[in-house]
Amino acid sequence: MEMLKSTIIQLGQGFGYTFGIFFFTVVFSIPLGLLVARGRMSKLLVVSAIFRVYISILRGTPLMLQLLLVYFGPYYIFGVNLGSIQIGPFNYRFIATIIAFSLNYAAYFAEIFRGGIQSMAKGQYEAATVLGFSKMQTYFKIILPQVVKRVLPSVSNEIITLVKDTSLAQVLSVAEMFTNAKAAAAAQVSVVPFIVVGAFYYIMNLTVETILNRVEKSMSYYS
Amino acid sequence: MSDTNNDIVLEMKGIHKSFGKLEVLKGINMDVMRGEVVAVIGPSGGGKSTLLRCATTLETVEKGKIVIGGDVLCDDVNGRAVYCDKKLEKEIRSKFGLVFQNFNLFPHFSVRRNITEALIHVHKKSKEEANAICDELLSKMDLVAKADSYPCNLSGGQQQRVSIARALATNPEIIFFDEPTSALDPELTKGVLKVIKELAKEKMTMVIVTHEMSFARDVADKIVFMDGGVIVEEGPAYDLVTNPQQERTKAFLAGY
Ligand SMILES: Nc1ncnc2c1ncn2[C@@H]1O[C@H](COP(=O)(O)OP(=O)(O)OP(=O)(O)O)[C@@H](O)[C@H]1O
Ligand SMILES: [Mg+2]
Repeated sequence: MEMLKSTIIQLGQGFGYTFGIFFFTVVFSIPLGLLVARGRMSKLLVVSAIFRVYISILRGTPLMLQLLLVYFGPYYIFGVNLGSIQIGPFNYRFIATIIAFSLNYAAYFAEIFRGGIQSMAKGQYEAATVLGFSKMQTYFKIILPQVVKRVLPSVSNEIITLVKDTSLAQVLSVAEMFTNAKAAAAAQVSVVPFIVVGAFYYIMNLTVETILNRVEKSMSYYS
Repeated sequence: MSDTNNDIVLEMKGIHKSFGKLEVLKGINMDVMRGEVVAVIGPSGGGKSTLLRCATTLETVEKGKIVIGGDVLCDDVNGRAVYCDKKLEKEIRSKFGLVFQNFNLFPHFSVRRNITEALIHVHKKSKEEANAICDELLSKMDLVAKADSYPCNLSGGQQQRVSIARALATNPEIIFFDEPTSALDPELTKGVLKVIKELAKEKMTMVIVTHEMSFARDVADKIVFMDGGVIVEEGPAYDLVTNPQQERTKAFLAGY
């Protein structure tokens, strides 16, 4: 019983990192995904080709590898040592994790957003145009709100995957829940930490799902 | 605003428009006077929608001149249409309204917001002003009870009347309709046609593409018959329907 309690406390300390990775990735990758989607849809062939390659590579290689590259790349390739960087409470390990996750998830979100934007009927743009709305107004008032509703189910899927993917940060020895669980399991020679950490992820995802369902429902006033 | 030709609201001269190799408009001339109702009829693929889309800035023409409410949208320079700058184009857009066949209402906005959004954010009216305009239009369209509904909860006829209200809200000098009742059941068609008839009585300037021949005959001042990218025949509505001169017009009208 004591053991279980200390395990929970230990994992709880890791939860801060897990939640941090999750939170910052969502915050950065969604706007970035929108930009990448715009780039991918650019009429300039060079621009759209660049973003197509970006999406293809980030979706086509393991996230774990991308984490390692972002973390070790600057030093191994350019000899730049970023290890001592510290932004507020965040060290370079954590920052590299956020960068890699955001770049990776932006690629997935970009394709979802592109699908949503391209599914919009031409008539919506045309109606907005003849009413005199500017391109920006049309995008932010007319198109984007409808796109958000359309892509929300797919975005929810990605966000739920992200909760579980945070465990990949262990390759950079970020002290998130999974890293802690592995250490605890080895120390205690027990599977209990694994079960507890599983429960943590599951509860986190239940919460995320509940919130996303609410958001989805709040947009169901039209079809 | 220009004072010359003040009674011509729309002038289209020598309009040519192609999609790739396909020439869809082959030199169209059309003048619409203030208060005039012009119906455009003709077989499918004749270029009626394209003509409206060129007049409403949704397509650009290769050759020709378009003047709306005294402002030159494009002018013919050495056989090529040269367009005005973006600022004037925006101003010109406030001079006309367009009603689509499939409404194109904004589904995420209430009826009220569909009508007031452009008033507030394009025409910089206050919310109170916009709401007052909206209320007046809704009562005219017999839709007062629907102000807070969303388009998806309205019948097709109601949606089309909202879209007419939306087009009217900014007080345009001319309204274009592209087959406003083609997506509607016959009994819903009536309500929409009735509204357009009332606008005609109020001397609203309108160009209406339609397949409703009896409506065109009764409501329009002038009918334009288009086929193959040219105006084959035009004239006073009653005369054109009852006594067409061209063979193609006769053949087309015989189908009704
Ligand atoms: N965006 C486009 N790209 C290529 N071709 C087009 C485009 N829009 C219209 N066309 C072609 O232009 C021609 C005229 O079309 P338009 O829609 O103006 O005809 P219409 O008279 O309105 O016909 P309908 O009565 O069926 O609505 C048709 O052959 C059509 O296929
Ligand atoms: Mg048409």
